Amino acid sequence: MNEIIGTGTFEIELNGKTVKARMGETVVEVASREGIDIPTLCHDPRLDPAGACRVCLVEVEGQRRMQPGCAWRVNEGMKITTESSRIQRHREVLYGLYQADHQLDDAGLPVVSANENQLRSLCEKTDVVSLEPVEAPRRGRDHDVNPYIQFNPDLCILCARCTRYCDEVEAVSAITLAWRGGETTISTAGERGLLDTSCELCGGCIDTCPTGALIEKKAPPLVQLQAKPVKTTRSTCNFCGVGCQLDLHEQGGKVVKITSPPVGETLNDGNLCVKGRFAYDFINHEDRITEPLVRGEDGELHPTTWEHALQVATQGLAKVREEHGADALGFISSSRCTGEENYLMQKLSRAAFGTNNIHQCAAT
Amino acid sequence: MKRHGANREQIIELLEHEGGVTEQSVRKVSAETGVPEADIWGAGMFYSLINQPGKRVRVCDGLTCQMMGADQLVEELKEAGKEVERVICLGQCDRAPASLDETMNLVTYGKTTHISPQDPELPMNLGGAEDMAWSALTKAREMGPEAVIEELKLAGLQGRGGAGFPAHFKWNSVRQQVDQERYVVCNADESEPGTFKDREVLLRRPHLILEGLAIAAHVIQAKDIFIYIRGEFTNEIASLKKAVAEAEAMLGDVTVHIAKGHGAYICGEETALLESLEGKRGMPRLKPPYPTEQGFRNKPTLMHNVETIACVPAILRRSGAWFKEQGRTEAGSKLYCISGHVNNPGVYEAPLGITLDELVELAGGYDGNPNSFSPGGASSGFLPMKYRDLPLDYKSLADAGSMLGSAGVVVLNDTIDMAQAVSWQLEFFERESCGQCAPCRIGTQYLRRQVHKYLETGTVDSLKMTGDVSWEMEEGSICGLGMVAFKPLQTAQEHFPEAFQKRNGKH
Repeated sequence: MNEIIGTGTFEIELNGKTVKARMGETVVEVASREGIDIPTLCHDPRLDPAGACRVCLVEVEGQRRMQPGCAWRVNEGMKITTESSRIQRHREVLYGLYQADHQLDDAGLPVVSANENQLRSLCEKTDVVSLEPVEAPRRGRDHDVNPYIQFNPDLCILCARCTRYCDEVEAVSAITLAWRGGETTISTAGERGLLDTSCELCGGCIDTCPTGALIEKKAPPLVQLQAKPVKTTRSTCNFCGVGCQLDLHEQGGKVVKITSPPVGETLNDGNLCVKGRFAYDFINHEDRITEPLVRGEDGELHPTTWEHALQVATQGLAKVREEHGADALGFISSSRCTGEENYLMQKLSRAAFGTNNIHQCAAT
Repeated sequence: MKRHGANREQIIELLEHEGGVTEQSVRKVSAETGVPEADIWGAGMFYSLINQPGKRVRVCDGLTCQMMGADQLVEELKEAGKEVERVICLGQCDRAPASLDETMNLVTYGKTTHISPQDPELPMNLGGAEDMAWSALTKAREMGPEAVIEELKLAGLQGRGGAGFPAHFKWNSVRQQVDQERYVVCNADESEPGTFKDREVLLRRPHLILEGLAIAAHVIQAKDIFIYIRGEFTNEIASLKKAVAEAEAMLGDVTVHIAKGHGAYICGEETALLESLEGKRGMPRLKPPYPTEQGFRNKPTLMHNVETIACVPAILRRSGAWFKEQGRTEAGSKLYCISGHVNNPGVYEAPLGITLDELVELAGGYDGNPNSFSPGGASSGFLPMKYRDLPLDYKSLADAGSMLGSAGVVVLNDTIDMAQAVSWQLEFFERESCGQCAPCRIGTQYLRRQVHKYLETGTVDSLKMTGDVSWEMEEGSICGLGMVAFKPLQTAQEHFPEAFQKRNGKH
């Protein structure tokens, strides 16, 4: 837990308890540090606060109306209440309204798709009022043939995390809120499929979606995933040198989904690109090379040990240098290598073999 | 119009020039402005005047037009082979029912409008001649900013758009901001059902508006004035443009920009209006910060309704104390719109605090046996005739659980089924909710569906949860639309319980 020190800090009262806060912090941020749970749906720390889902409303002394804790900035001496009969009633009816606008399961709770549904979790903990469905005329994009991202409007709560993420984090702006009122939906220019937009298929919209309205097309339903043991392995994405961390979810000996570690936990801060998130089919592909191979006298590739393979490569390179000079050699490293690996590659080229013919595929 | 290098603020107007939102128009506007296609599509689809290109007749579905047979008009137009769209109140309630033809020209089918007779003792004096010399602006320049604000304070001028907030607070607040880039924005997006007062000011006294805005710009030291006027107001826009051209010499280095709305009631909400001015979807912002602190382009902005700003010249010419005396229970005169079941519907300038009976007397008396009235637009709900002697002012109506709002008074006689009247108002709010927050987006759909269900089946069970939903809409909504959208149902259930008993349904 971070200790609050330095200038710009002051005391506020949170649920009757005096706590320290920093200038510019929101109620949700202070409460989170103090271990007080304020439910949120439209909040993602990577995005500017929207205050749109209304789930995080709290009472602020001196304010007639309840205020969104995700957006409300604390000030010295401010008195904030996060649990009261008024807030409780607000949640009971608000969740009821969300349920009236949501696909429900047989138990009358928001359904779970391939990803978790935080609205369902909130409803499970609350004595939600039961309302007849409103059958909002929201449109999806069933014709969208992109291979990775699926949108189900019946699970969408219009929190706009996906559209704000696409704009504020990725600066791509492929998706948007469209129409108005009950017809409001997540759309694209011309309601085109994502492949015909500026979308880079990073899947960040899936990651930020709180209800599973946006899912990976390839991923199994969450109930199926949870039915059998899942092994999750933290790894480093090897598609480039950035070093994004991945969580590989493996079931029955196969990777079935890749997600980013939670926001704030690793350097990629919850973000991944299309390769990191979706390009994992190669892992179980039959053509994948999983051990070193050396071409034999018969012209065919044969499995061998790393020691032998490296020896063969070294001999081959040394032979070219002996016969044709060092500048007959050229070294090209991969953009999948890290900076350190690229450094070693040029060291190998310049120091070990004595040529400046060194290049990297991402350089121009 | 500048096209290449145009910025985001122009995308809605560029889309209109292209004939509305289509894949092609969006691509073109994106190429011209550099704004992403999705942003243009999303913003454009918000506005009903451009989101479905094509020629059609637009028939008003405001309360008065509904009472005066808008449904029948729609049937007749359809039989005549016209494509028809129902649209929000066109602000022609005094000559209801009203429509816009395929070329956006106004066609009305009802009575002719009335205004108060010309009287130089009236602050607004709709029937009077314009002061083309702008003597109040000259006086304001002599008085200096502080004295102008002091005069507004003495006048007790309250915002005439609906909230009734004291005007001088806003002027002072903007002046106190550190940022010197400031704007004046005039809200001429009049679209509250039952309201058509700004329309008459725009048509008859545009110089009063411009002079008031110029005084405001002088006081807060703004160089740009933006007038956001609803796009359906073709004649009013022409009137305003003519006045701006005439006023060039008086305006000096201040520029007046006229921005058209494109069919979204919510853009009358001040922060939604600002979003719309900035070329975005008209979704209200969280408040605070208020527009006086961070308004247009996030700069300090003074925003006023047409009528409020048009009161300013008279206050400076005659004095704040004089203006205040023109009111009865609260300060100043007020433009009351009256329509529905009265003989001479129109706009009457009367002391703030006039009663319904007195107002209807000005309007030629009741038509039929009055049963209820809606004092200030859809959000004010319905009151029974026991309030006929209540002063129609901000405080008295708020105490009665209603509001003066825009003073768009609609009288309903006993031929109107109150549950039906409620459903008309709820349909309006459902259509005009911006969709941003769940209490309003889902709540307006829920209430409308349940009242429809009640009308169809006659079972009171349909309405058993509407109280909880209304409570949450008031508590949980972001803006004023959601906070009051249940009022027609709530007030009608309170005052006309007999209209919500078990009854024979339509089916």
